[in-house]
Amino acid sequence: MSDDLTIILTAGLVATAAGLLGPFLVLRRVALMSDAVSHAVLPGIVAVYLLFETRAPLPVIVGAAVFAVVCVIGIDLLRSTRLVASDAAIALVFPALFALGVLGVTEFASGAHLDLDATIYGEIAFAPFDVWAFGSVEVARSIVLLGAVVLANATLVALLWKELKATTFDPEFSRTIGISPTLLSRLLLIAVAVTAVTAFESVGAILVVTMLIVPAAAAYLLCDRLLAMIAVTLGIGWLSAVLGHTVALRADASIAGSMGLVAACCFVLALVLSPKYGLLARALQRRRRRREVRAALAEAHAAR
Amino acid sequence: MGWLIDLLPLNYSDAVVAIGAALLGIAAGALGVFAVLRQRSLVGDALAHAALPGVCVAFLATGAKDATTLLVGAALAGLVGALLMVGIERTSRVRPDAAIGVVLSSFFSLGIVLLTHIASTNDANQAGLDTYLFGQAAGLLERDLDVMAVLAVVALAVVALAFRPLKTTLFDPAFAGAVGLPVRLLEIFMTMLLVVAVVIGLRTVGAILMVAMLVVPAVAARQLCNRLSLLIPLAALIGAAVGVAGALIAARAEVPTGPVIVLVGFAVVLATVLLAPGRGVLWRGRKLARDRRRALVEGVLVDLETTIHAGPPPTPRELALASGRPRRQVARALSALDRAGMLARDGERIHLTESGAAAAHAVLERRDLWSAWLEHGWKLRLPDAREPDPTDLRASLGDDCADELRRLALAGDGGGAAGDAGQGAR
Repeated sequence: MSDDLTIILTAGLVATAAGLLGPFLVLRRVALMSDAVSHAVLPGIVAVYLLFETRAPLPVIVGAAVFAVVCVIGIDLLRSTRLVASDAAIALVFPALFALGVLGVTEFASGAHLDLDATIYGEIAFAPFDVWAFGSVEVARSIVLLGAVVLANATLVALLWKELKATTFDPEFSRTIGISPTLLSRLLLIAVAVTAVTAFESVGAILVVTMLIVPAAAAYLLCDRLLAMIAVTLGIGWLSAVLGHTVALRADASIAGSMGLVAACCFVLALVLSPKYGLLARALQRRRRRREVRAALAEAHAAR
Repeated sequence: MGWLIDLLPLNYSDAVVAIGAALLGIAAGALGVFAVLRQRSLVGDALAHAALPGVCVAFLATGAKDATTLLVGAALAGLVGALLMVGIERTSRVRPDAAIGVVLSSFFSLGIVLLTHIASTNDANQAGLDTYLFGQAAGLLERDLDVMAVLAVVALAVVALAFRPLKTTLFDPAFAGAVGLPVRLLEIFMTMLLVVAVVIGLRTVGAILMVAMLVVPAVAARQLCNRLSLLIPLAALIGAAVGVAGALIAARAEVPTGPVIVLVGFAVVLATVLLAPGRGVLWRGRKLARDRRRALVEGVLVDLETTIHAGPPPTPRELALASGRPRRQVARALSALDRAGMLARDGERIHLTESGAAAAHAVLERRDLWSAWLEHGWKLRLPDAREPDPTDLRASLGDDCADELRRLALAGDGGGAAGDAGQGAR
């Protein structure tokens, strides 16, 4: 497999894994959960290093995933007291976990090469160089790992489609018909945590955060149905992956950054041009309405 | 600021850090209230990320790694990001959290692209640009304190002077606009102040600490009071206290200041969320347990009274059967009644003592009064429209109204109305 194809495929898989969950996060108003997770994994990485003296990918992923889950569950617990709004809960939990991690780094691991950038920010450009051999076939590790995550997320969303939908749009109703919103919310957030951690390791935090929020937010401006929203999210995600890679090659710029910028452009386009909720459409509608009112007023005036 | 440093019983650098943390805590506490109450708690996070492209552009434009230039670049980019955030939120159906997320990731992506661009075109001069923004509280200078003091004073002064318009805009923007307040201008102005606070905080204490500094005081103060006019000073106070406590602990333990302040703040929030009077999780839990227990004991007391009234004194087991309650609950309530001296035991069988009978009658009378209130309450002429306290109707309505209710209830029963032979007649 060529390097470029590997990179695009890796990014596409990240976009797919994130795109399956992102719409739910945006609809539930916890879009920033991914950013919280990206910072909260630090103590996990530090703990793995302190306990096992290793920076090998699999133990690091496990350690990070533990703290990612601690983070999302902590946020959910704080939210469920109803004393703290969800955005404030996010802003309280992840700095605390990150602070723990920073203390760990400076106290115990300062001799080792474990600076803050290197730990959570993988780099998508290196994805092709790290391969696993299956018999005679060599596949990039990131593709295998992310493929598994995509499969897991797709299974989760397909199996719990009805439940996720009900708890997202009407938690009170779903409670009355026996679907626990708390349980579903925790499941979803754990899936987000695992997805984010796996993807951080192969493509870096910012691309994951972007892919979890921006395509879903753009799709939210374009669609009114959940299924359509997920489809559009996936489309925008893949478009950002492919176009972003091209742009990065042309301009000799960061691949993850370019993909993020393409996604941001998609959002801006949706914001301006969305047929129903776009700025342009709404401005035209306002103008038409103003004209109608003026015409009606003139008519009434003439009739008198 | 020199006099204040001399005044504190600390060595010079610890005193500088403690004062800096206190000043930043005051400013962030007062401004954070407005971010938290509008569900924009993570605005600090977004601004911290948005500063990166600003730093890059400032570097590209001037070619120098001069502190002031880069800081201005960061502030401008932060302002643009913040205004975009507010704009997206205002003009579209995207909610605050997603708007913040979009701005955060777009700006940071842009920053990364600019960084790679700088790295490929410039020489070694650019090294450390990306970590430039992420400061260390231990590196605070006395000069920085003046800036922070000005910031804190300005923040408090603005909030105090523009308190009423700010409050109106915060809780009801539509109404504020309708009465002619400059809603947009106020919003932009508050956002600008927030941006300045975040950028100063970034440089001196780091991005993540700044996120916590904005949110911790507001959330902790919110658990303790319900009025905005109390909330803001309380948040400023908590911010200062958390900052100083964190700085002192960090100095004593010789660890980095920022993370310790964050952890102290988190502990404060946890404590208030658990313990806050009237609201805290544990407080509510204890009240709920107490109420349940009282309801159980009263219920068993009344059951006992009615059973004794109807036949021979029951054994605990018979009482449980007659009242349909689990035996363990009945046993628990009986032992509570026993301790209060309301029970007399005759072998297995239970009597009520005089005080027990009196208590049972009091409960029954309260219940009768409540039924009377439900049925005839609308006929009373009450001085105000408040709902009375169901657990103690007589005290909250006053003796006159309670007697009037009893009279109405008796009259209703005497009139032989068909349906009301239930609760009221017991």
